[in-house]
This record gives sequence, C-alpha cells and structure tokens, in this order.
Amino acid sequence: MKALAIGSALTVLMAPGTAGASALKPDGGVVNLTWETMWSGPTLLLLKQMTTAFNASHPGIRVTEENIPSATGDAKLQSQIAAGDPPDIFTEWNPVIGEYAAKGYILNMNTYLTGAYKGFVKWMYPLAAATGTYKGELVGVPMSLNSWALYYNKSIMKAAGIMSPPTTLAQLTADQAKEWIISGGKLSQIGMYPGANGYQYFSTFFGALNCFNSAGQYDYANTKTCPGATALMNWLTNFKSYPYAQVNSMNATYGAVAGGDDDPFVAGKEGFNMDGPWEGAQNIPDANPSMEGNFGVIPFPGTVGGPSTIGQGNFNIIPEGASNSKDAFEFITWLAGYNNVKFTSNIDPQGGWVPAGPQIAAAPAYQAYVKKFPWMTTYLEQMSSKYSQAPLLTTNQEQANTAMATASNDVQDGSMSPAAALKYIDTQANATS
Amino acid sequence: MSSALTSSATAVPQMALKAARSAQRRQIRTGLLFVSPWVLGFLAFFLYPFFATLYYSFTDYSGLGAAHLIGFANYWALFHDSLFRTSLFNTFYYTAVELPLSTIVALGLALLLNMKIKGMAFYRTIFYIPSIVPIVASCMVFVWIFNPTNGVMNSLLSNLHVPGPDWFFSVSWSKPSFILLGLWGLGQPMVIYLAALQGVPKDMYEVASLEGAGPWHRLRHVTLPMISPIILFNVVLQLVVCVSYFTQAQVIESQDVGGPGTSTWFYVQYLYTQAFQFLKFGYSSAMGFFLFVITAIITTVLLKSSSRWVYYAGDDR
Repeated sequence: MKALAIGSALTVLMAPGTAGASALKPDGGVVNLTWETMWSGPTLLLLKQMTTAFNASHPGIRVTEENIPSATGDAKLQSQIAAGDPPDIFTEWNPVIGEYAAKGYILNMNTYLTGAYKGFVKWMYPLAAATGTYKGELVGVPMSLNSWALYYNKSIMKAAGIMSPPTTLAQLTADQAKEWIISGGKLSQIGMYPGANGYQYFSTFFGALNCFNSAGQYDYANTKTCPGATALMNWLTNFKSYPYAQVNSMNATYGAVAGGDDDPFVAGKEGFNMDGPWEGAQNIPDANPSMEGNFGVIPFPGTVGGPSTIGQGNFNIIPEGASNSKDAFEFITWLAGYNNVKFTSNIDPQGGWVPAGPQIAAAPAYQAYVKKFPWMTTYLEQMSSKYSQAPLLTTNQEQANTAMATASNDVQDGSMSPAAALKYIDTQANATS
Repeated sequence: MSSALTSSATAVPQMALKAARSAQRRQIRTGLLFVSPWVLGFLAFFLYPFFATLYYSFTDYSGLGAAHLIGFANYWALFHDSLFRTSLFNTFYYTAVELPLSTIVALGLALLLNMKIKGMAFYRTIFYIPSIVPIVASCMVFVWIFNPTNGVMNSLLSNLHVPGPDWFFSVSWSKPSFILLGLWGLGQPMVIYLAALQGVPKDMYEVASLEGAGPWHRLRHVTLPMISPIILFNVVLQLVVCVSYFTQAQVIESQDVGGPGTSTWFYVQYLYTQAFQFLKFGYSSAMGFFLFVITAIITTVLLKSSSRWVYYAGDDR
C-alpha cells in the first residue's frame, strides 16, 4: 500500500502539463469521465498510476477507472450502450472493434482530428493507426501495442545440440523437433507448439492475413489469391505428430487456463515460443526469475522476406452515447502518449508494452529500458516493418478469429486437413446469420 | 307497515352483502399488493424477455438500433449451421448421460446420508461442501485432478497399471470428463432428496418389514413411490441445468473454446458467443427460443409420463 502511494505520488510529480486541455472548464466545473477496463493484477496498478497522473495534469477533467471482470466485460459494455448509459472510455481487445464500429457501438473519432490533434494519426506507428481504423474512420486508439516474436530457450537448445537460433522456417521446424521430450508416453518438454493462435498470430509471417474475394468475403481457401494461407496451414500440420492433449494439459498446468499468463516456456519446459514482450519483461521475472538470461528473442523466420508482426493490442474506444466524448478523446490520446511522451516512456516499460508511436520508443526512458532488455529491439523493429500487417476490421472479424482458432487446433490435432480448415474458416467467417 | 318491514328486512342482508364484498375487495387489494413485487418481477424479468426473445428471433438485430424483421431466416439458418448441430448434439449427449447419472448418484448419496450412524452430520457436511464451492474454483481443481500428465487421477490409474485418458483434452473423453465434474457438485438435489426421505412415514417401513419386505423391497415399494414427486421435481430442475450447461466448459476450455475439436461446444455457450461475441442477437434469440421449445417438449413428456410413475398420496388417479 505504501509502495503504491509512493508510486502514485511519483507519477503525479512526473505528469507533464499537457498542451491544450489541462485548464479548468470555462464554467469552472470539472468533467467526470468513466474509464472501464478489464485488467487485473500489476497492470491494474499501472492504470491507477496513469489515471492519477492524468487527473493531476488536467484539473478540468476527472477520470475514474472502473475495473470490470473480463469474462463479462463485453456483455456489460453492450448492455450499457443499449441502455444509453455507457462509460466514456472502454479499453477493448482490438478484434472486437471492427464489429463494434460496423454495428454502431462506437464513435468515429475523425471528428476530433483537428487543431492540436491534426497530426495524431501520423504520430502513431502506421500499424497502430491501421489496426484502429474502420473504413477510413479512426475508431480505436491503442495505449500500447502487442508485437509477436520468437522466444528460444538457450539451455534447451544447447542440450539438443543446436548451436544458434534458427534463421529459416525449415530450420526452426527441424530444431524444435529435436527438443521434444516424451518418455514412456509422458510429455515433459515441448519443442514448440503454435496452438489455438497458430493461424492468427502467425499469419503475417506467411503473408496469410486479409484474404478477401472481390465481394469482400473472407477467402482463405483460395490457393491462387491467398497461397500464404495454405502454406501456413501446411506448416501447422507438422505439429500433428505431437500429443495435442498432453501439450494442452501442460499449458493448463502452467497456468494458461482461465487467462493465466504463465506457460511452459516461462517454466523452462518449452524450446521455442511465440509471445509478446511481456513474456520476457514481466512473466519470466515474476514467475521464474531463473529463466532470466536463459532466453533470447528473434523475429519469426517466416516466408515473406523480413520480420513482421500482426497489428494487435488493447484499444481505447469511445462508446456510442458517451456523454463527454471530446474529453474522452483527449484522455485517450494522452494515454497513447501524444503530447505526453515523457510520462508514457516511463510507464510503458513497466507493463512490458510496445508504445503506440515511435517518439515514445525513442525517448530516453524507453531507450534505457531497451538497453536493459536488448531483445526489445526485435519488437520495435517489427513495428515499422513493411511486412507487418493490421487485420482489416470487418463486421465478422470475431467470427473469423474464432474460426481460425478452431481450425488451427483441428489441423494440429490432425482432425482437419489444411484445405478443410481454410474452408471452415471461410464458411464460419462469412456466415451472415 | 308491512312493506316498510319488508324493505327493512331485505336492506339488512344487502348491507351485509355489500360489507362482505367490500371486505373481499380489500382483501384482494391487500393480497395483490403483497404479491405485486413478484408479479412485477415476473412481468419485467420473465414475461417481457420471453416475448422479446420470441420477437427478436424473427429479426436481424445487432443489439443496437432498429431490429429488422426477416421472418424465419434465423431459424432456417440454424439448420444450416454445422456448429449449431454440433452444440445441440453435445448438449443432449451431456444431458442424456448426466441427468440419469446425477439422479442415481444424488439419490444414492441421500439414502446413505439418511442412515442412522454415528457422525452423520459430519458426512452430510462433507458431501454438501462441493456444491458451495464456486464453480470456477471447482473447475480449476478438476483441471488439476484430471491433468493427463501429472494429475492425481492418472497417477492413481497408473499405479493400477491402467493407462489414464487425456480427459478434458481428448475429443473422446472431454464430455465424460464434464459429466464427472457435474457429479461432484450434487449437493443441492442430494439435500432435497434427503429432506424427502425424512418425510417418509416410519410406520410404512414398519408395516413393510412386518410383511417380510427386505431392504430392496422397502426401497422399491415404499421409499421410491413416496418420494417420486420429489424425484420428478429434481429431474425437471436438473434437466434445465443440463441443457443450460455453460460455465464449466467456458472456464476449462478457455484456451480452446469448444475444443478439443468441437467436442465441448455446448448449446448455451454457442448461443452466448453468437450474441455477445458476434453481436447476432437475432440469431441467438432464435437459438434461445428453439432451446425453450425443446426443453418444454421434454418437460411435458416427463410430466405426462409422471402419472405412471409418480405417486401422490391421496390422489385417486
């Protein structure tokens, strides 16, 4: 508690005066904003720090952060919007915002991209801006981004006789195969296992994202226009020789059930793992410090010719019917770090976050963080890579993602062929009723 | 004089009648006032949602704005949706196995806990405790118990030289695993059965014993008929619980919703996904209403069949 109080005091001291909006309102009143999030644990403490700092630097606005359970967060937001009483800001996982935008649940923020905010979109990483844009309308703004890269366990590699991290897909496939330990039918170490996220998170490495036909429908099964999708699914079939059930149970053992953050890689039981920077910056130091110094991070050796990542993150949205949308937008841009570089470059490293804009990444505080964790460079470079892609926001994006997860699992457990899996994704993603 | 007497004589009963009617109206008003919270709750939280669901099932509705009538399109789409059929099958598989099993196990436990042995309060507490454990917590415990690699269950089986299955992570074993989980938390029906067993008149057992009936015959011909209304009540309640199966599957398969494969896509889970993930409230309303119709049909069949196997004391049927 004492530490929290000191942290809050520090953030207040660190909080900058923001250009444009910190003064009291003309009538001397204070605008109250409600910000709903679905985080818990250490991240929630960071959000409290951010709210405290914003309130200190913006006497005309008072933000109250409300934490809601993630299991019911979306349902609650939808009910609030339908009832005409939504929060002013809601932090949402990006695959949902396409549907929300298409169905009128959230505001188009283009209206506010004037004056001091005219350059806001260009200030962000292009990937960040694209991920929050639906049909030319800015509908979501990230306060940090996810970026995916390949973790490798040094000691497992050494034990398997692998001298250096893989540089090609074929090498990765062969290397990870050497690292599995299954003795007497019992799995004790995983080489690598893409799992449910196998299609979605790996799609940019194969050029397998955003495949649509001329009618705008998902068309991943089309081998001519979307060869990357077949290549990715074919690669996933490599994993059907491994014990799907035991891998899942090992994931469950190490906490992946019910949204747990830990996984076999953190526990030192997996050779390669695709994950975000929080794995190395937060999960490993918190859950298994003995792994620090025993891992490295490289770009996934995909087939597209360079490092890449999928545009993804937690985006702040303004629900339809929010009573103070202009002030909410001001808060959202502040959270992203716009006109707030110093504070954000200090707070992002605490969450193991990739910032929303390159200015923050270049700031001294963030650079100090990169110096401490040199592997962070991989993530930052991917943000500006020409091969990185934002998933096109569509009405059926959640359906597509759900289908991708099922198809990925089914290909890896051998219950579906790659062609059938892609057809399944198209059928499910294009279902209108 | 006589006519005045007559009118006076008729006026008295009329006044009494009026007073009685007035008192009756007051009673009705008071009664209505007392039941009004329930009536309002019923109207607002049951009747309105019921008819709203029926209405929305004929619309294309995203939860916001206007709902557009589309006739039977949602119902038509249901039968062309392979996941809908899968979720329906999974749910009825679960119900068909879980319902009779849970009835037998809960009744069996209640019979054991109705015995007169030392420390019965302790045993009753032990068997009831699982039903007050939060569902999510019990799910986490079961994930550990049934962990194929290092779970307690497979370790025990291994000691017996029996290869343990992959439980929740196997297509063929996932549903049986959920059924086992369901059997663990049967405290509520067990307590209801226990109360019913304690209501069976002791003299009936005495008479049966005097007539030479052994334990099995006493159970078969005294206990079960006497508690059969309660069995019917519990079966109907458990039926609704089974067809609405959701939380356990959502928690345990959170990393692979509906998995492995599509073996644990349960009906209400798919309904929830359609509504709150895909924002297809019209479609999910159709799913909801379809489930209501099926449940109503099964319940009606159960109630109709009850005249053959449920015994109501004092009923001349």
